[in-house]
Amino acid sequence: MNGTPRVLNRILIGIFGLLLLAVGLLLVLLAAVPAVAAWWQGWSSEAWDRVRTGSESTRIPGQSESWLWIVMVLLLIAVIVAMVAWLAQQGKGRSNILVAEDDAGEVPGYVRIGGGVAEQALRAALAGRPDLAGATVATYDFRGRPGLRIRVQPRQGVAPHLLAAEVSALVEALDAVIGRRTPVFIHIGSGARSRFGRAERVR
Amino acid sequence: MTHAASMNEVPSGPELPGNPGTYADPESSGEPGRQRILARETTSSRAGAAVVAAILVIAVCGYALLETAVRAVGQPPWLIDPQTAADQVTALPAGVPPVLLGTVGAILLAAGVGFVLAAILPGRRARHILADPRAAVVVDDEVIASALARRARLAANVTQEQVMVVVSRREVQVNVRPTSGVPLSTGDLQAAVEAELRDMAPEPMPAVRVNMASSGVIGA
Repeated sequence: MNGTPRVLNRILIGIFGLLLLAVGLLLVLLAAVPAVAAWWQGWSSEAWDRVRTGSESTRIPGQSESWLWIVMVLLLIAVIVAMVAWLAQQGKGRSNILVAEDDAGEVPGYVRIGGGVAEQALRAALAGRPDLAGATVATYDFRGRPGLRIRVQPRQGVAPHLLAAEVSALVEALDAVIGRRTPVFIHIGSGARSRFGRAERVR
Repeated sequence: MTHAASMNEVPSGPELPGNPGTYADPESSGEPGRQRILARETTSSRAGAAVVAAILVIAVCGYALLETAVRAVGQPPWLIDPQTAADQVTALPAGVPPVLLGTVGAILLAAGVGFVLAAILPGRRARHILADPRAAVVVDDEVIASALARRARLAANVTQEQVMVVVSRREVQVNVRPTSGVPLSTGDLQAAVEAELRDMAPEPMPAVRVNMASSGVIGA
């Protein structure tokens, strides 16, 4: 439900994987097949010579170094910035506001309900349950609209459909309080606390 | 067309906050949005692989940047001059022991295959969807397994350690070791687990298979 760019992830991971694959394959072939080694030495030294003559002709006037180095530095910086931007996209989408709209009443103004209202109400409602090892509630922006993400960790043996129905009833009650139906995602998961904690025996 | 016409007849007067009739919002709680949430939550986002790939690229580029910048301003190199490095790369099989070269290549090859597979495979998570009138509900297979194990344990009247349930996308495997001397019926057990699964109604619906161990447990 978060804003991780999934298609971009797949594309970039695929490109990165193919690059690693190509380099790895080349190294293995260089180590194992003499013919490939001969071809590589001929091809790469020729390419390197071309780069070197290119850098000779692009010398900075009055200095011994080529400006190709500066272009290279800028390129590397661009790649690093792009990678940091990509990293920043992972798991983004947390939001603070659950509802923000004009209430169209007689009083001019704007109504905003913070995500903390729903988060704390649901967390408090779920806190005392003996069949849960933990519960977290967070507000996320889902396609430009705020939505609630409820993660509950039941103890071992709890029937998930009954738990889902009860949490869903809590959400319906919250809808009535807030006056808006926001998208809600309920994840009934297991973690270390539910796995190693005691089983819920009385229910 | 009739649907669109009936939509237009709904009066669009001022909405009263808290009135249950007016907060029905077709876009937010309707099917398309929920289907999208469920589709996203039952597949992996590949954030982990993305973070690893980005950090590796940043590390390599950062080092190359350092050496290139040092070279660009005409200072002595830190570890290796880019030009010397390029000369060594062009001469490659020479200068490096072939075993080392092959090992490094094989490691890179394996990592590359891993990343490519992570990008290509559908990346399904071990989760099932539950139907719910209000929310999008997703359950980890582990939770389904422990609920079914509890039901199987009660139906067979055995201890917790004698039942193991494995849930996969299309199959539920119930492994039971009966108590020695107490007969157990596979059919009853299967019916009990199937009834629980029917109540739960996970999607996709897995088929139940009960494996009764041939040897029993003594003194359980």
